[in-house]
Amino acid sequence: MLNKKSRSKHIGILSIAVLALSITTASADNQNVNNQAPSEQQASQEPGSFIVKDGKVDPNTYQGYLTYTRHCQACHGPDALGSSFAPSLSKAAERRSFAEIASTIAGGLQIQPGRVMPSFAEDPSVISNIGNIYSYLKARASGELGRGRPKVIEEMLNEEEG
Amino acid sequence: MLPETRLAIATIGLLAISMAQANENQLELQQNPDLWATQLGNYQGHRYSELDQITRENVGQLQPQWQFSTGVLRGHEGGPLYVGDGRLYIHTPFPNKVFALDLEDEGRIIWSYEPDQDFRVIPVMCCDTVNRGLAYSDGKLFLGQADNTLIALDAETGELLWDASNGDHTIGESNTMSPLVVHDKVIMGISGGEFGIRGHMTAYNVETGEREWRGYSNGPDDDVLIDPETTLMMGEPIGESDLGLTTWPEGEWERGGGAPWGWITYDPELDLIYYGTGNPGTWNPEQRTVDGEPADNKWAITVFARDPNNGEVKWVYQKVPFDEWDYDGVNENQLIDIEIDGEQRKGLAIIDRTGFGFLLDRETGELLVAEKYAPETNWASHYDMETGRPVVNDEFSTFAQGVDVNTTDICPTAMGAKNMQPSSYSPDTGLIYAGINRICMNYEPFETNYVAGQPYVGATLTMMPAPVEEGGMEGRMGSFIAWDPVKGEVVWEVDERFAVWSGALTTAGNLAFYGTLEGHIKAVDIETGEELWRFKTPSGIIGNINTFRHNGKQYIGVLSGVGGWAGIGLAAGLENPEEGLGAVSAFSGLDEYTKLGGILTVFALPDSDT
Repeated sequence: MLNKKSRSKHIGILSIAVLALSITTASADNQNVNNQAPSEQQASQEPGSFIVKDGKVDPNTYQGYLTYTRHCQACHGPDALGSSFAPSLSKAAERRSFAEIASTIAGGLQIQPGRVMPSFAEDPSVISNIGNIYSYLKARASGELGRGRPKVIEEMLNEEEG
Repeated sequence: MLPETRLAIATIGLLAISMAQANENQLELQQNPDLWATQLGNYQGHRYSELDQITRENVGQLQPQWQFSTGVLRGHEGGPLYVGDGRLYIHTPFPNKVFALDLEDEGRIIWSYEPDQDFRVIPVMCCDTVNRGLAYSDGKLFLGQADNTLIALDAETGELLWDASNGDHTIGESNTMSPLVVHDKVIMGISGGEFGIRGHMTAYNVETGEREWRGYSNGPDDDVLIDPETTLMMGEPIGESDLGLTTWPEGEWERGGGAPWGWITYDPELDLIYYGTGNPGTWNPEQRTVDGEPADNKWAITVFARDPNNGEVKWVYQKVPFDEWDYDGVNENQLIDIEIDGEQRKGLAIIDRTGFGFLLDRETGELLVAEKYAPETNWASHYDMETGRPVVNDEFSTFAQGVDVNTTDICPTAMGAKNMQPSSYSPDTGLIYAGINRICMNYEPFETNYVAGQPYVGATLTMMPAPVEEGGMEGRMGSFIAWDPVKGEVVWEVDERFAVWSGALTTAGNLAFYGTLEGHIKAVDIETGEELWRFKTPSGIIGNINTFRHNGKQYIGVLSGVGGWAGIGLAAGLENPEEGLGAVSAFSGLDEYTKLGGILTVFALPDSDT
């Protein structure tokens, strides 16, 4: 039990740190992952960029999936498809810039009385993953990433753990 | 002991009678088959009407008489009340408008009321801004606003008589339920199980709105209003003190959920109210262990029998100790008098979230029957009838599988094999009729931190349609069933494309009615389930179908307006688990069938048929 608990904490901390970690190690990634074009690898570090290969995704996009599912899905529906309560965010990601999406997540939104989105500014697990959420939404919007829980591209996963 | 108890009941009874016409008024109205004076039709929660103008033979002629748009989007739960004054009283989701509509003038608005409430409650309403409707007694209407304000309105004029605060949205509390009037009290629960609230049930004075008692769902006995010497569990005194505190890790009971947001039923003879409590705080079971071992997390997912006069708990039955699936135990407790093994018993039947149909003795809380009404149910193999505890299947135990592990193909889903949609009991057939959900899930617990007013969930869910049994409808996500509560058997089943999220109605016309998420209202033969009539309303139905008679004519009334958890989960459709990731789903999205919009539709037979 204790092992399980400490492991889960470890992953939690790791996931919060993913964005920072992946930026600081970007150049190392470029050198180590030989089978991808440098531009593609570089792109995966920017909010909204993603890699989808055989239905698998880069770790940031995967983290975006997890964050979406934990925090956004309750209103916006599974797989960023929208619901009777709140709009599809994969559609929103087609039209909205990262800055717009990020400011809505941080600041919330009141469209009309009865249609309100809360601010997530004080929720570190959302705020630290805004870029990853955007990557996940962009991946869904592109049609390259299907529904459900994606797997992480193995060589990139190893890179993260290393 | 027994004579003392009797004396106590008698004394309390006298006191109640002298103080309260309210209860008598509501009882009197319920006993008049022309009326539909309380959301569940009667105190026992039967949703059955003795009216028989509309029958198996003529229901095919049923026609809409008029429709009324509430002007509100969002999920419309609950239904219209008719108390015999020529008006229908209806309500809406947030902003919780109330309308008195003239039955004799095609729904002309006699008065309307709109509370002025803080919209910041909306983000703490986990599953849409629904409201399950008004309560009525003695010329007063009672409404639980989303923002936790309980109000009384003058039914004649719509004037506000009093208001009372039942909770605080800044700590995640909100209200969706319909209050119940018993004696001189209006009784109200609370929502917020996904925000780490501490559940409570509270009684307010019907005349003044003054708080009279509050019983919490967890914490010390003094707060729960349990006496371990007299409160029964499985027919015996609990014995041990403060289980609502000791079955939690340090302090976790304070955010231990157990929100009672469903329906309350009442037995006027035993003078007891019955309701179920919701999930225990975070959905991550690991965070609710004691010394790393599963703990019961009492009294979440528990049926409470309380004395409505002072809130004291007569008995408890915990349906799911140590929840690992969000099997939020709020489903209605139908009070039915049945014969078991040649003996007449006062029963309490539940078509539960868990996929099990329970039958309990409502005097003592003893478990009599626990059988699966949804055959796909796999989280537990069965209930141990001696201990009353489920025998959990390790393969589907999200605790055994562990934190950050995705436990797959658990049936039913967290939505439950049945959610809040209230079922119907026909005393003519002795069967329960219920709309149910045929959906399974993958569930991955993760560690989460409590922040007041923020979601406290700690699990990631994906949902998929349940496996279809031989002869079942391909791709179905719901059914309407007839259930024998004594034998614990499904008598017949009609499959539906989507979860059936509307409240059922049965009538002496040998009919059962229900609504679908596409927006159909349907009438079926009570004996076979054969469809006899349908009408497509403008939006999906998650409201309840009610019936009443005015000026000699039987009416059927229903609110449509899709939403609720069903609208959130099913709008885009579910993925077929048999297909590869990203394949085009064979399962339809609700979004292709219906859009938002609250409409009341009132039906009757053409004049020539009545």
